[in-house]
This record gives sequence, structure tokens and C-alpha cells, in this order.
Amino acid sequence: MYEYVLAPEQDVVISSRVRLSRNYEDLPFSPKLTHEYAEEVIERTADAVFKTESGAAFTLLRMGELEEDARSRLVEHHLISYDLLKFVNRSAAMVSSAGTVTVMLNEEDHVRIQGLLPGLQLERSAEMALKLDEALGAQYPFAFDHQWGFLTACPANTGTGLRASVILHLPAISASGQMGAVMQTVAKLGLTIRGLYGEGSEAQGNLYQLSNQATLGRSEEDVIRALSAASGQIVEHERGMREETEKKDMLQLQDRLMRSWGELMYARLMTAKEFMRRYSDIRYAASMGYLHAPLPGLDTLMMDVQPGSLGVRAGKLISPRESEILRAKTLREELTKLVAE
Amino acid sequence: MMCEDCGIRPAKFHLMTIINGDRVERNLCPSCMARHQKQIPGIDFTNLAGILNSILESRGNDEQEQIDAEAQSCVCEQCGMTYVEFQKCGMLGCANCYQAFKTPLTSLLQRVHGNTQHAGRVPGGAHNGTSIRMNIDRLKQKLQRAVADEEYEQAARLRDAIRALNMQLERKDADIKVRPHERITTDGEGEANDNV
Repeated sequence: MYEYVLAPEQDVVISSRVRLSRNYEDLPFSPKLTHEYAEEVIERTADAVFKTESGAAFTLLRMGELEEDARSRLVEHHLISYDLLKFVNRSAAMVSSAGTVTVMLNEEDHVRIQGLLPGLQLERSAEMALKLDEALGAQYPFAFDHQWGFLTACPANTGTGLRASVILHLPAISASGQMGAVMQTVAKLGLTIRGLYGEGSEAQGNLYQLSNQATLGRSEEDVIRALSAASGQIVEHERGMREETEKKDMLQLQDRLMRSWGELMYARLMTAKEFMRRYSDIRYAASMGYLHAPLPGLDTLMMDVQPGSLGVRAGKLISPRESEILRAKTLREELTKLVAE
Repeated sequence: MMCEDCGIRPAKFHLMTIINGDRVERNLCPSCMARHQKQIPGIDFTNLAGILNSILESRGNDEQEQIDAEAQSCVCEQCGMTYVEFQKCGMLGCANCYQAFKTPLTSLLQRVHGNTQHAGRVPGGAHNGTSIRMNIDRLKQKLQRAVADEEYEQAARLRDAIRALNMQLERKDADIKVRPHERITTDGEGEANDNV
């Protein structure tokens, strides 16, 4: 038997992320940001980050200097936002070696500090981001107003500038058709939930992102506490639904989920969309103990077989069909390793 | 029960207003209710959905239109951003835009966040408890000035903001900790519940 450590509530919560939006008070914001000012933002922030206690652990990546697949890989691993790539010519990211703290530069705001941890660990993610925020703000002052808090390019983020989110895996709630009710309930709490992948009401892989809406008028602690508490309740609900489904007909549930394991272990062509469906099934199976595969390993693998990451793995530009072949091959190899561990 | 406004007629209505998270409830007679109704024009008090809609619409119709009209000519001296430009792209040009477009932004932020007073950290690495106290002290000074200048509307807003911050501070001082699994209570303010 292998042993691995699970992060809190990792059977349902994939990761917890906190992002802080900041702008330098003396530089123009995004719409008026010239190339020179953008360069000043990068130089200033890099200087400030490298001077911090953990500065040596950070690498500066200029988006314009990376291949497209390498940029996509960063998005797929949630290290940067998709929006950072809207400004490839001027944007950059500083990524910590552990991948837990990232500083995005010249996205919608000059600086976006991100703390990211597996499982439900919003407090710790916030702590990491706020600690770096304090260290950076002490070197070059951020735009701040006593009435409106930290000033951001878009007024929807002003105040704390804090967006906290958790990625939830909700196969049992989704199957029961209760997502609509969950969405309505969280909206009443000032939170919002949407599918992580896919468009409209479709949520590929049954992955959902729960995050706060307002940033003005509530303290960072209040927002984090409300989101943690709501996440905790959804986790309990999902667990309850999983148990209930198992109680109804365990063999049928096992059969349905483990068939996906078979597909993943033997398929020769695998599209990203089909993969997400199968991944949800085997993650569900692993959380119920039907399959002895470590959840952290499954989640990492899920990100590793997204299109950009596969391109990086291939080391060259690949066609959609080559991508399907490589995805199927990677899955066979990596899943075999995961269950053998 | 008698009307809480006039005190002479029996109360028939229950009116609740929430401004910046501060809830005020009054029991009113029909005639006093009508007076309140005039202050919030166009509201259909008999229907809940109607109340919500007409609040949005009434702001949209009169006050908001006037604010928007006046904002059309606003320009930020610092970066040259006009309010019209901001409306198109949704982003401000610099920190000074917040001052240049203060009036329309206040109204916009109220609609987006349901609040116009920051209640979080201040720069400089101060711990939150400290930063709240600093904020309260600063707002109290402003409040005194507003009262001295007879700017009562501004004073009321400041009073509400101070009250909200004080409540936060009390919660913090009580050192309430909510474990993630416990139920959150009614309003999503993340308040502690009875089981703690």
C-alpha cells in the first residue's frame, strides 16, 4: 500500500486560491499604460519581490518570450490567469518554485498577487498573498484611498482587491440535478459559482469555481471566513450525496465509475472533453475507495494532459490528432505509475 | 401597536430599509407610510419583486440619470481619461480618476458592492485590528468636521461607516473562529453561529 497526505477536504476541494489586485499610485492604470510604464511596473515589482525574504525562489517570466504552449501550460496549472495572455506584449509573471505564490504583472492591474494551495486552505492562501503584498507595498506604495480602499483599474475590484476562490469537484450533486439550488443559495451569500471548464451551464469534469463577488465594505477576514464556511457546507452536502448514491446501489455506482478507468487505461485516442468526464469518474471512485490512486496525483495529471501542457511535453507544435494520441499515451503511462506507487 | 413616526395612528405597515448594511425597521401608519413612499418614488409596496425592480428603476430614472448626465463632461486631469471613455472600456486610467469621477463612481460602487466604505486592510503592513482602529479614528475626525460644517448627509454616512467598523472590531475582539464545517447563519456576513 502506498501512503500520501491529503490536504483538508481534498476529496471534494481541488484547490484554494486568493488573488489581490494592486496598482502603483504614481503610474497610469491599464488603459493608459504605455510600453515604458509597463516596463517600469515589471522592473519595480521584480526588484521588490527579489528583495523579500523568499525572493530567491521566484523566477520572472515575460509572456512575450514564452512559446504559446508554455503560456497555456501556466494557465492550465492555474499559475496565471487567462486574461494575462490578453496583454502578451507587456505582461509578465513571477512564479515561486513551489508554485504556491505567483505575481502577475500588467494584467488588468499592475500587480496581482496570488496564493494557491491544494484542498480547502483559503486562510493560508490569503496569508501567503497578504504577506507578499505587505512586503511589496512597503517598498513601492500602492494606490489606496481611505474610503475606497485599494484602487483598481476596474471599480468592481476596488476595496480589498481580494478575490478568493475554491475549485470544487461535485459529481454527486451535479448528478442529482441540485446545482441550480446550490447556485441560488450561494448567490444569497454574496458568492458566485460557475463551471470551471466549458461554457454556459456545462461544467466539464463536474468542476466548479466558487468565489466572492463584492470587494468593498467587507474585510479580507470576513470574506475568507464566509467563503470557507460556504465551501465547508457544500463539501458536506457533496459527501452526503455520494454516500446516498452508494447506499442506493453500490455495485452500479462502482460499475459506472470503474468503466471510465478501463477507458483511460486502454484508449488510444482521447479528446480533452472525454478526458474530463472520465477524470471526474475516477476521481469520484478514488475518493470512495474503489480505486487506490492518490487524489493529488490525479489532479496534477488532469492539468498535465490539457492541450498546452501536452504541447510542452511534446516539445513541438502538435496537431489535434497528435494531441489525442499523446493524451491517451500519457494517461496510460502515468495512471499505471500512480496506482503502482 | 402605534405608528412609530406620528405616534397617533395605529401602525399598519412594517418598513425595513438597509443602507450600507445598516438595517432600520419601522412600524408605520398608512399616512406616514405614504410620506416614506414619496421619498422612494415608484415603489410598489404590495409586491416584493416590484419593490426590488422599482428600487433599481427609480435610481435608474431620476437620480442616476442626472448623475450620469453630469458625469459625461468629467475628465481626469492626471491621465486625460473621460468618463465616457471609462463607460466604454470599464477601466479607469489612473488613481486620480477615482477623485475626478467621484460622484458617479460612488453611485456605481454602491450598486456593484452594496457599500461605499472600505473595511479591510490599509497599506503599511498593519494588522487588520490596528487598521480598523486607525480607520475609525480617521472617520471620527471627519464626522466631527461634517457636523461642524452642518453637512448632515455626509455625517450620517460617516456614522454608518464607523458603526460597521466597530461591529467588525467587536467580532474580532470576541475572537470568534468559525470552523469551515459549521453552518453559516442567515446573511452570509460570515458571522459566527450559535454553536461556536
